[in-house]
This record gives sequence, C-alpha cells and structure tokens, in this order.
Amino acid sequence: MGRSNKSGKTFTRRDFVKATGAAAGALTAATILPSRGNAAKADRIIIGHSQEPVQYNPLLYVNRGTENGPESAMFDALWDMNEKGQFVPNLATEVPSIENGRVSEDGKTWKIELKRDVKWHDDQPFTAKDVAFTYETIMDPKTAVRSRSGFDLIDGLKVVDDHNVEIVLKEPYTPFLWSWQEMHIVPMHILKDEPDINTSAFNSQPTGTGPFKFKSRTAGSHIVFERFEDYHRGAAKVKSLIQKTVPDTMVLYGQVKTGEVDYMMTSLPYDRWDEAAALPDRAFVELPLPWVQFIYFNCGKPQFADPKVRKALYMACEMQKSLDDIYLGRWKRTLSYLHTSHWAYNHDLKDETPNIELAAKMLDEAGWKVGADGIREKDGHKMKFTMSTTAGNTARQGCQALFQQNWKAIGVEMEINNMPGSVVWGEYTTKSQFDTLLVAWAPIVGMDPDYTARCHSQYIPAKHGQGSNYVQYENAEVDALLDKGAITVDRAERTKIYGEVQKILLDEVPFAPQGGVFGGFVMDKGLTGVKPNQYVTDSTWNIQDWSWS
Amino acid sequence: MTETDNIGTTVDLTPMRSKKLSRSVFRRFLRHRLAVVGGAMVVILLSSALCAPLLAPHDPLLIETSQRFLAPGDNAAFPLGTDELGRDTLSRLLYGGQISLVVGITAMLMTVITGSLVGIVSGYFGGWIDNVLMRFVDTMLCFPQVFLLLVIAAFVTPSLLSISLIIGLTSWMEVARIIRSEILTLKEQDFIKAAVCYGSSHTRIMVRELLPNAMAPILVAATLKVATAVLMESYISYLGYGIQPPLASWGNMLTNAQGYFDTVPFLAILPGVMITLTVMSFNFLGDGLRDALDPRLKMGQ
Amino acid sequence: MLQFILKRLLYAIPLLIGVSIIGFALMHLAPGGPLGVYTLNPTVSVQDIERIKVIYGLDQPTYIQYMRWAGNMLVGDWGNTFFGGRPVLIVILERVPATLLLAGLSLSIAILLGTGIGMLGAVQRYSIFDYLATTGAMFALSFPTFWFGLMAIFVFAVEMRWFPSGGMFELGEEGNVLDLLHHLVLPTVVLSLVIVATWSRYSRSGFLEVIGQDYIRTAHAKGLSNRLVITRHAFPNAAIPLIALLGVQMPFLFSGALVTETIFGWPGMGRLFVDALTMKEYPVLMGLMMFTAVFVIVGNLLADIGVAMVDPRIRLEG
Repeated sequence: MGRSNKSGKTFTRRDFVKATGAAAGALTAATILPSRGNAAKADRIIIGHSQEPVQYNPLLYVNRGTENGPESAMFDALWDMNEKGQFVPNLATEVPSIENGRVSEDGKTWKIELKRDVKWHDDQPFTAKDVAFTYETIMDPKTAVRSRSGFDLIDGLKVVDDHNVEIVLKEPYTPFLWSWQEMHIVPMHILKDEPDINTSAFNSQPTGTGPFKFKSRTAGSHIVFERFEDYHRGAAKVKSLIQKTVPDTMVLYGQVKTGEVDYMMTSLPYDRWDEAAALPDRAFVELPLPWVQFIYFNCGKPQFADPKVRKALYMACEMQKSLDDIYLGRWKRTLSYLHTSHWAYNHDLKDETPNIELAAKMLDEAGWKVGADGIREKDGHKMKFTMSTTAGNTARQGCQALFQQNWKAIGVEMEINNMPGSVVWGEYTTKSQFDTLLVAWAPIVGMDPDYTARCHSQYIPAKHGQGSNYVQYENAEVDALLDKGAITVDRAERTKIYGEVQKILLDEVPFAPQGGVFGGFVMDKGLTGVKPNQYVTDSTWNIQDWSWS
Repeated sequence: MTETDNIGTTVDLTPMRSKKLSRSVFRRFLRHRLAVVGGAMVVILLSSALCAPLLAPHDPLLIETSQRFLAPGDNAAFPLGTDELGRDTLSRLLYGGQISLVVGITAMLMTVITGSLVGIVSGYFGGWIDNVLMRFVDTMLCFPQVFLLLVIAAFVTPSLLSISLIIGLTSWMEVARIIRSEILTLKEQDFIKAAVCYGSSHTRIMVRELLPNAMAPILVAATLKVATAVLMESYISYLGYGIQPPLASWGNMLTNAQGYFDTVPFLAILPGVMITLTVMSFNFLGDGLRDALDPRLKMGQ
Repeated sequence: MLQFILKRLLYAIPLLIGVSIIGFALMHLAPGGPLGVYTLNPTVSVQDIERIKVIYGLDQPTYIQYMRWAGNMLVGDWGNTFFGGRPVLIVILERVPATLLLAGLSLSIAILLGTGIGMLGAVQRYSIFDYLATTGAMFALSFPTFWFGLMAIFVFAVEMRWFPSGGMFELGEEGNVLDLLHHLVLPTVVLSLVIVATWSRYSRSGFLEVIGQDYIRTAHAKGLSNRLVITRHAFPNAAIPLIALLGVQMPFLFSGALVTETIFGWPGMGRLFVDALTMKEYPVLMGLMMFTAVFVIVGNLLADIGVAMVDPRIRLEG
C-alpha cells in the first residue's frame, strides 16, 4: 500500500476496515475517526525504537543508543561529530585546537568561547556558568553520572566571562574533545537548587537548548517533542517529533512498512536487509556502527596465559565464514579494535584465519598435547573452557556453535555458558571471572583510537581497581605506546603509534577481533536530511535538519 | 442455589479387592480407543527420543551452512529441512524431544503430585493445617513465576532434572487451590462422612476416597502442565538459565525460529506440532485414565 | 462471614511482611545486579561503577538496604527508580489502566467462552465439536504466545492492514474509545487464546464430572429440560474448581501478560515487569511484588467466599 493511501484525505479501505473492526457501527465510526491528512504527516516525524528511553537527563543515562533520541532532540554539546569524522562547533563558536590558538602548545590549557544567542527552552540565556555547572555536576560524588572519563583529568575550570571558559588539564589528553562531544550541557538555573539530581523531575521533563522541547510522555508508548522556535542553529523543519517504543523488532519493522513509523532507529535483522532494500517507498541505509565483536580471552586463566595459545585458538576460528554465514556477509572483517574504515586502522595487518593445521602445531609447540580423551592438556590443566555472552542472542549463539566446532577439531573443548546481561556484564566481567566472552565493544573515547582503558596494564580492574582491561592483558611495549598516543596531537604520528598497538594486539591476541558491526536502518523515502554517521551512536544526531521532501 | 439435597453419589463402601479393581480399570481403559491411541503416541514419542542416536540422520549440532533454510522435502538427506545454521531439523527434533519430554513429564508430575498433595491435605483437614498451607500457597503466588524461576535457577547448576524440578516447584500452587476447592465439597458428601463414621484412617480416606473423586481436575492440570513446562523450559533457556546452546529442545527451537516466523515458517511449526502432539496424547491418555478410574462414568456415551 | 474476612485480612499483614523480606532477599541473592548494564558502555570504568554503587546504597549489606526500604514504605515512600529516578509508585500506577483493560477483557472473554466451550464439550462428549475444541485448545497451549502474536500482526496488521500492529491509540487519537477498541482486538484475541484453552479444559472436566452424577440423572428423569438441568443443577457444582481457578488468576489483572504486551507494544504492567527484571530495577520489582501480593490475598479470599456461597455445606474457617 502506497503513501498516497495512508495519507489521502479520502475514505480509504484501511479506515473502513478500521471502523468495522472497532465493533461499532461502520458508518458511525467512519465519520468519527478522522483520516489523517497530508498536513499532519508533513508536520511530524515518528521515529521508532525497540527500547524505551527512561532517563532524559543527558548526564545520567546509562547506555548509548536508546536515550540518544531524547538527548539529541533536546540538548546540545559544545561541539558535534559530523558524518565525515570532523568536530563541528555547536554551542561553542569554534572547536579548540592548537592551530586556532585555543589550545596551548603544551596541550594543557583549553579556551572555549560560547555562542551568544543561545537560549534554554524556558527563554533563559545560556552562559558559561551552565558549562561550569555541568562539569561540577559530573564531578559531584552525589551525581550518578555514568562516566567521568576525560573530566577527571581537568585540574580547573574557570568561567572567564559569560561566554568564555578556560580549562586547565592535569596532563595533555588528545581525545579530550570527545569527552565534551559526549556530554551535553544541562541548565544551571533549573538544577542548582535541586537537592538530589538523581531523582529530579528534570530527568523526565527536561529543559535543554536543543532543537525540540519536551511536550509529553506516555509511559511505555511514546514521547512527543515540539519544535523550539528560538533554536540557535535555526528552527527545526518539522513541528513535532515523536519517539515511539515498539518492543519487538519484527513488529517495529512491520510498522515502518505500514507507515506507522517513519524512521526505524533499531537495526533490522540481517536476513531482512534485501527485502527492506527492495521496498518501494522506503529507503534503506547500511552503515558501520562503532562496535567491533571480539572473543575475549581472560589472560589471567592458566589456559590463556601464553600468547601463543591465544593466537592458536584465534587461528582455528573460521572468522570470515562466521561473518558470511551468520551475519550474512553484512559485517566486515576487521583485524583490530577499529573498523577497517577508521583513519587509524593498520592496513598492513593480514588475516591468517582459519588455519587449523598451524593452530594445532602451535598448540603442540606451546606444550598442550592431546590427552587420552582427545582434549589437549598441559601441567594438569585441560584445554577446556567456557564462553559467555548475553543469553538469547541467536546470532552470537550461532558464532559460538561455529567456534565450538572449530576448536573441537584441534582438541579444544569449549562449553557455551550464556547468562542474562545483568549477570554476565556484572562482576563476572568486571572482576575478570570469565574464561572467554563473545562481546561487541566500541572504542572507549568516542571514535578516538585511544585504547588505554582496555589494554594498558595499569587499567586491570581486578588488580588496580580502575579501567576496563577485563582480559588482564599486560605488555610494557603496549603501555608505552598507549601513553604516547594519548598526548600526541599529530594524526599521522598517532596513526603510526596505534598501528603498532594493533599489530602487537593481533600477535598476542588478548581479544580476537571477529568483525566490525554494521547496522541496517529503514525509513520513509520522503524523509530528507537524514545523515548516516558512523562516528556517533545516535542516528538522530542532526535531527534539526530532518524534514519531508 | 443448587438443590444440594440429592447428593446421591455412588457410595462404594465395600472396599474392593485391589486386584479386581485394577483389572477392571485396565479393561475399561483398553475399551477407550482414543486413550489407547494416546498411550501409544506417548510410547512412540518417548522411544523415538530415547533412540535419537539411532534414528537421527545427522549430528544435531553439525553446522552445514551451505545447506541452511532447506524446507521439508527439498533435499532427501534432510527430510524435515534445516535451520539457520544448516543443522538437520529432524535430528534436532529427535534430540530435542529428549530434553522437552523429560522436562515436560517430570515437571508435570512434580506439579501435579505437589499440587494434589497440598490440595487434598489442606482441604480434608481444614483448620490450622489448611490455613498454614494456603498462606504458604499465597506467599508462593506473590512472586511472579518468572522471577522465582530465575532466582532459583541462578543458584542451581542447570541440568535437565534441576530445570524440571524448578518448573514443577514453581507451578503447583494453582493445582493445589483447585484441588482443595474440589475436596472441600467432596468431604461434605455422604460417602466421605460415612467413611469417617466407619473409622477409616485419614490416609485411607484421602487416598482411596478423595483422590479418585478429584481425579478429573488433576488430570486436566496434568495435560495443561506438560505444555506449559515445555514452553517454560525454552523461556528459562532463553534467559540463560536453562539448556545452553547449541543443544536443541523443542522450546528453544521455537524461540530461535522467532525471527523467521514468516520467511521460514516450518522452523517454528515443526517443534510446535511436536509439542501439540505430545500434549494431545497426554490429554487422551488422561481422558481414558479418568474414565477408567471413575466408577460413576459410563463408557461410550 | 465478616469475622472470617477480618481474620483473613489480619493474616495478610504478616504475609505481606514475609513476602517483602523473602522477595528482597531473593532479589539480592541472585547473581547480577543493576550495574551490569553500565559495563557495556565503553566509557564506563570500574571506578565509575564503584562510585555509582555507593550512590544507590548498593554497597550496604542487604539487611540495611531492606531496613531502609521498609522504613520508607512505612511512611508511604515507595522509592525511586535507579534509571530515570522517578517515583516507583507513579511508575507502577501509570501502567495500571492499560493492563487492567487488556487483562480484564481477555480474562472475561476467556471465562465466558472457555466455560461455554467446556460445557458444550461435556454435554456433547465425543462429538465433532468436542474434538475440534480439544484439538484447538491443545494447539493454543502448545505454541508460544509470541508465535500467535507475530502471526496475527503479520497477517492482520501488515498484510491485510485491518488492525494496527501495536500500541493503545493512534498518535493524536488518545482518548478515542473507538480507536482504543480497534487497537484492543488483536492483543485481546491472542491473549485470550491460552486462557480460553485452560478454562475450557477445566470447565469440560468439571461438567463431565457433574453430569455423570446421580442427582443430575435424577433431574433428567424427573423430566426437566436439558438446559434447565445444566444451568440450574450442573453449573454451580461444576463451577467450584473454576472459582478457585479464577481466584488464582486474579493477580493477572494487575500483573498483565509479559509476552503479549511486548509483542503488541501494549504499555502495561507485564512489560514494566520484564524491563525491571532485565535491568534489575530493585525498587520497581519490590513495588510490583507488594501490589501482586495484595491481589493474591484478595483473589484467594474471594475465591474461598465464592466456593462457600456455591456450596453452602462448606464452612468458612481459618
């Protein structure tokens, strides 16, 4: 059924059936039920997500994805990341850099100038005090902010005047731009008297500077946003924006087909991509998402202490086949923690998988000999371990089954031990209790190639109580490279540093890269201004530019 | 209100010799054609699951992605087709039957036995025993079953038996309440009062008089619980506390087929049909049993 | 009677306290916790997780956390959600109407239809109708609800476009009763399927039981019409297990249906519970449990009274 049908002013078949279906007199119903006209369609965009955003305070939400909808609709950051991978100013007049003199030569002092014509949704002016307040709130021990990454490096933040802020860092930190790109600014005049920001009414009825104002929320169903006429980058093209929650992905897909949803924020299952791409009046976009999927080896376990063993296990896996057959060729093979399309990706890396013979030989050399039961063993340890991931993820279960089969061929026994997300990603992961995990993770600081928290030896939480090096990987050379990369500004130089890190990681395989995650999104063909952006997690990052053609 | 004056239920006070009873029961059961068919089906299902290693044409775990999504009949080597990883559906159904039937039957027995026991004891004795038992039932009912399942499952290492027991232990309350209500009316009837007067022991009254007369709802509960237990297993497994992949059960085959419900409908329909067949067989078996056990019902109406 | 009710309500107090203690303990004993979800955000490090743990008081021993919760409950404070920081009571109450509507409608339909089908099946035992009803019920019980739901949406919403595929209202039609009815059709049908199947089985066996009894035969022999015999004589006695079943199913009116609500995007309690359980939203789970407990107590109390009213020989004691 075409668009003309669903938006036509005439009495359509759908309206008729709808009326009869309502178990009321058909004629009465038809006159009562208004048919939705073109005007309504042109004035609103309905985006659909399978999860319901519950936290609209940009400092407090937990995970990226669901809550990015309200965030990008209602709030602004100092600068954004565009689809070309460049920082572009948003609330700031300019993105600070050494070239434009806003970052000092030693990289420690940052001068940020703010736009002057910015207003909060309640007409109050936006000033430097709001930026300072946002920083102070993030660092307040009573605030349940998800992360202080980057902000904990700030030595001092000074409000110079209403539109200028000066930040001094304890040490230079190149990815610092990302920290502010990910934190949107909250209003001081509303939140300063709030006794407890974690339970503030603001969190479900916020006031921001963004292109849309909060209008209403129907629990479990949808949120309605209304255009903010005084938006500093120009008022949005449509009057209202609706974020709808449709828990089942297949039903959500059905709603995009019927026109009940205009843009599907949740990625479509891979087996539906061809069908979706062929839909007559729907557009289909395929794009890399920041995540890369890995097999995580816990280097603290006796089986995985030896890099040679990890490499052998990695070599036995049919990685390309897993992507082709389980992700139907939609994901792209990558050999590092970055997508191959990332500027810092090391293109000299070679894919050596699968090589069963070599894998078996390497295990032999490492001293793991096949025992009487067909399973390899060494010093009383069996080459036997579990692999865990969130239960119920059928695609990952398929990968696990394939790797299990691959490893069985070289005398390695893997048992699948999947658990609910709240268990597997709790202390089981953070205290490094797992054997192996199958997990997809994005880079740690936006899309910056810095990977300190994941593989620097000082960032093993089980040992040092900080970081997220859950595999407990220790390598002095990698440590030195990571330390250097974090303070190096020149991109070519950084490419070299992180290229070397990627090379070592592929040799020692603390985590075995499988593939870069891709997503497929369906939308109404009439929707314009949608800019797929692989550098951010929110597809609605430029929602103010969306409109109907 | 009912005319409760004519409660002329068949009063069978002369204790039948058990041999004679069981023979007549068996004869009555055999006369019940559907019940025999049901019983035979149960035997066939059980033995085919048991003999899965002999009957299955393929390794149920073997991934053969070049052969995936075959429909039944597409390829003679895979008579019932293949799933999203190219695993043979027939083999998975056979092996899956091992898990699903064990879970279904064990959990059902557990549910029905616990439920009937609590229901009969509670209803028959009344007073403080009833009060204690029913408040316990209330307490158990306060926790959503899914919640109880997950909490218990998290502490017990998942095995076939433990999953079955957990399902059984969290679903008997409904049965207990129903049986108790049945017993409450039964015990006011003359034949029970008479049995009490004759000095029959409590156990004897409960087992020989009350249980057979409350058999009808017990058997219905049994049929229903087979189906719910099989589906419940897949739910626990889906959440990560049950059977781990890549092992198959009918329930998890259904769950995995969720994404292909319209594109490859057989993936869901086949395990669904297996569950239907099982429940159906148990239902007819139960019907037959009830007719055979119930002295009041005449055959072949 | 009044004394019986009062006594039972008195018992409810220790029961509620017990339920809250057991529930709280089980919830905290189970592995995993609300902070697991933070780990998946790559910017979150272990020190962040430790910090948040302190803010939510999750670093305290369980009994302290319980005392805190119970103390707040006594003054009517149900706490706030971890994610969103909203008052739990509001979070729960705003879902009540949706669930009450869907569950209430489905349960009523199921009671009427299920009892009717069962009764007919019993009267015309081994007829074509009886076999069809039996097969239908077995089929409904053996396929999972999500399958029926997805099929219904696929056929009637996406292909035929007769009904909307989810939600309660068309956007901008909030409050329109006709629109609401239109949205109710598919979820109600799907949700009713399983309940009808259950009810029809218990009802069929209940009526079979009664029909076989002598007093019914006597009534027949007295020349009473079939219908009169069934409605006047058989029905009340066959209804006894059904009343007990209804009592047990009462909390369903509050707790709703997990799968049906998820598939149809129905903004009800079932989904709230699933979300709370996956996210380990302890305050919400506790709130839901307390509400459910009240429904369980009232449901079973009503069932006990109901059974005693149908069969006056039964004395209410306890």
